[in-house]
Amino acid sequence: MDTEKHDTTAPSSNRRRFLVGSALSGTVPFLPHEAEARAPLAARPPGDAAPGFALHVNAHVYQVALDPRTTLLDALREHLDLTGVKKGCDHGQCGACTVLVEGRRELSCLSLAASMQGREVTTIEGLATPDGRLHPMQQAFMNHDAFQCGYCTPGQILSAIGCIREGHAGTPVDIREYMSGNLCRCAAYPNIVAAIEQARDQGEG
Amino acid sequence: MTGPLFPQGGPNMGQPAPRYEGRAKVTGEARYPSDVRLPRTAHACLHLSRIGRGTIRGFDLTAARAVHGVIDILTHETVGDAIRQTPAIYQGGYTSDSLLPLGSAEIAHWGQPIAMVVAETYEAAREAAQRIVVTTAPHPSPAVDINAPGAETRALEPMMVQAGDFDAAYAAGPIRIDARYTTPAQHQNPMELFATQCVWEGDRLTVHEPSQYVNSVKFGLAEQLGVPADNIRVISTHVGGAFGAKGFLTQRTALVAIAARRLGRPVKLVATREQGFTVSGYRAETRQHVQLAATRDGRLTALRHEGWELTSRADTVAMGGASMTTRLYACPNILGRVNTVAADRSTPGFMRAPGEVPYGFALETALDELADRLGMDPVELRRVNDTQTEPVGGLPYTSRSLMRCFDVAAATFGWSGRSPRPGSMREGDWLIGWGCASAYYPAQAGNSAARVRLTADGTAHVASAGHELGQGMTTMMAQVAAEELGVPLERVTVSLGDSDLPPAVVNGGSAGTASVASAIMIACDAIRARLGVPRDAPYAALRAAVAASGLAFVEELGEARAHGRSPESLPDMYRGRALPLGGVELPDRVQFAMGAQFVELRIHRWTREIRVRRAVGAFAAGRIINPRTSHSQLLGGMIWGIGSALHEHTDIDQRNAAYTNANLADYLVPVHADISEIQAILVSEEDRLVNQAGVKGVGEIGVVGVAAAISNAVFHATGRRLRDLPIKLEHLL
Repeated sequence: MDTEKHDTTAPSSNRRRFLVGSALSGTVPFLPHEAEARAPLAARPPGDAAPGFALHVNAHVYQVALDPRTTLLDALREHLDLTGVKKGCDHGQCGACTVLVEGRRELSCLSLAASMQGREVTTIEGLATPDGRLHPMQQAFMNHDAFQCGYCTPGQILSAIGCIREGHAGTPVDIREYMSGNLCRCAAYPNIVAAIEQARDQGEG
Repeated sequence: MTGPLFPQGGPNMGQPAPRYEGRAKVTGEARYPSDVRLPRTAHACLHLSRIGRGTIRGFDLTAARAVHGVIDILTHETVGDAIRQTPAIYQGGYTSDSLLPLGSAEIAHWGQPIAMVVAETYEAAREAAQRIVVTTAPHPSPAVDINAPGAETRALEPMMVQAGDFDAAYAAGPIRIDARYTTPAQHQNPMELFATQCVWEGDRLTVHEPSQYVNSVKFGLAEQLGVPADNIRVISTHVGGAFGAKGFLTQRTALVAIAARRLGRPVKLVATREQGFTVSGYRAETRQHVQLAATRDGRLTALRHEGWELTSRADTVAMGGASMTTRLYACPNILGRVNTVAADRSTPGFMRAPGEVPYGFALETALDELADRLGMDPVELRRVNDTQTEPVGGLPYTSRSLMRCFDVAAATFGWSGRSPRPGSMREGDWLIGWGCASAYYPAQAGNSAARVRLTADGTAHVASAGHELGQGMTTMMAQVAAEELGVPLERVTVSLGDSDLPPAVVNGGSAGTASVASAIMIACDAIRARLGVPRDAPYAALRAAVAASGLAFVEELGEARAHGRSPESLPDMYRGRALPLGGVELPDRVQFAMGAQFVELRIHRWTREIRVRRAVGAFAAGRIINPRTSHSQLLGGMIWGIGSALHEHTDIDQRNAAYTNANLADYLVPVHADISEIQAILVSEEDRLVNQAGVKGVGEIGVVGVAAAISNAVFHATGRRLRDLPIKLEHLL
């Protein structure tokens, strides 16, 4: 797979068009482990070379060439090293893989990476400001101890942001209904609802 | 804005410190084992048996091998003798079951791993695994569950509990209850999948795997692979939930390890959600029989509790909950028995409050039946039979605050407003039911060690191979070190979840905090003793003492031996054999955390829809080091209890014992919409005997008793006594 990362929004010129290689399976001409990293390409069936395309994630552009079956979830985790997004079922049943696509919550395990061309994807890594200030929803989750093991948490936080934006966070009953696609096996549900109410009352979504 | 839900502390409680790793978890920076990135990783995918018990006649791997990117396919034919047969934990070993991974052509159960593909990409591995063709000879009539004709029942004589003369006392009992109960198979389903990554550097193996016990993985794998344990390191920094499913070494790890060795590169396996249903253990289904006799004023005169628990053919596993339900209430004549029923299934294992959830459901429902028969308030029935000594051996409870929990929870719930007659409380088309039950969980501990380092700059570091499962272990470790040394909490750092660190108990049985906190306290005592600094010395004095010592740092190892363990048991801790001990297993005393569960539910008059409107639980569990994380555990536990009562059961195909709902859409767990008002109250309790830390543990007690409180509330709402879990609306039509 080829991966190139461009920063589209960073104000400083030295971050613009910054190239990043994927250490696992990506290739960037300037990296020393190029030969190793090319192995996956050699294994691809002849004539089936996946066309490259651009993935827009957290205000960066990644040039990728992936097996066409690659889900957005696996692309983010295995190829872009954005492992905040979690695999809990791979079937759209648990919500752990929730990301924002064009600001709306989507299940990245049910989305093919190739279908994301030209669409802006936001993962948990893209919520805090570059200087490390947390998004109010992240802060609210910490304030209310709205997680235990933390595995579903990135999905819960992104889904909660989407829930507020959709206007489905007016009451606790609404929040519970519209957050029910995000399972939390530690069952931090009451604390999650309280956290969402806090962020909502701060005008965040 | 809603205020924080967690309590702010109280007598014998520490500070509600926020989670040490909280920021890492809300930013996605926390790396769980499957998030660890290793260069040149190959991806593995399991192929599980699609038949029940039977025999493999042969594999056709042509199509699988033809998938581009496939590197290797492991089957019993290609693995050879690379993995050695080793005993399971139930025989003193390390593995969660005693089937040899890819050991032979024999298939013991549906969902058994029978092949593993390794490929350049996950997509290729998955495709190839699906293209494996297996010719099999299925057994004509596998025993699929606890009621199957071919299942073998075996009485476990060592688990028998006896006091007085049950038969005579029961026969003479003025008021008698005789009832049978069933509980279903359930799966832990932590959100994090069962993942394993293995990488060899020369003859040294590093394993990244979510675990409740890295040393079980390390030492078990050493035996299986014939590799010195010193050459194996197991890392499990963050664990995405475990609930008993990640306690011991499963078959998958050795497969990934040998694949990585064969390939000379890292191999990563992430079992699918469906595969997870047989990759590890689960809560076995049970049948239970309870007989109670009582005087007309409610005093128990006879109590019998017998359980039958499903197990596999390969392993005799029983949670044996009757050993505890026979010790909870004053009663002179007692009989407890446990039986296993072996069927053609994967080996069951531990799931949050493994013995207490099913057995507690039966006993606490039976007590409600007795209260109803007596015309007695169920809280008062518990009060009449409350005791400070267990009734079988006459051993004292180290502390027991059951009735204080009942009184606090009843007052908060408003129990005095209950109209006792079934069906007498209604709101429009909704029947209202109020129910209650006791919660209990054995206070346990296991041998554990911790290393604490106090550095000249005034910072402290605490390290132990305990685990952060979400229960708050990291935060607790920092808090105990901070408190014991007098170092500000923000100046304490923590390492855990790594077999290179001082060993700790398996983080199960609610024993983690009690065990590791005790070890940290011993290490901190040693540091203060070395520096000659008294307990309550100010921070400045501590720093001055380190500076005066001329050392860059002072470091001490604390080893805490659990009550009931011999001094000779300490070396076992360094061999991955530190298991919890406590509850009713001690020669001189019994030790339990106690609680009271109250539930209000409503049942629709026409549709019979069941909704839990609110639940109040109060729990006394000795010292609470962090009320915030403890409270979250108890809340989560109570919600688990709701799931256990109303949602969760694993469906078993009667032809081949396949789990037909092995996914998160069909295996129902509580979701946001199922949960409204849940209140968990921490009841202050001090217990200086239970262990050095005075901690009883809260990881599991929150689940216990909820199912009975719900079944009792269903009876109160409808007059229908339901003795089989989960309770569904069709049972009320």
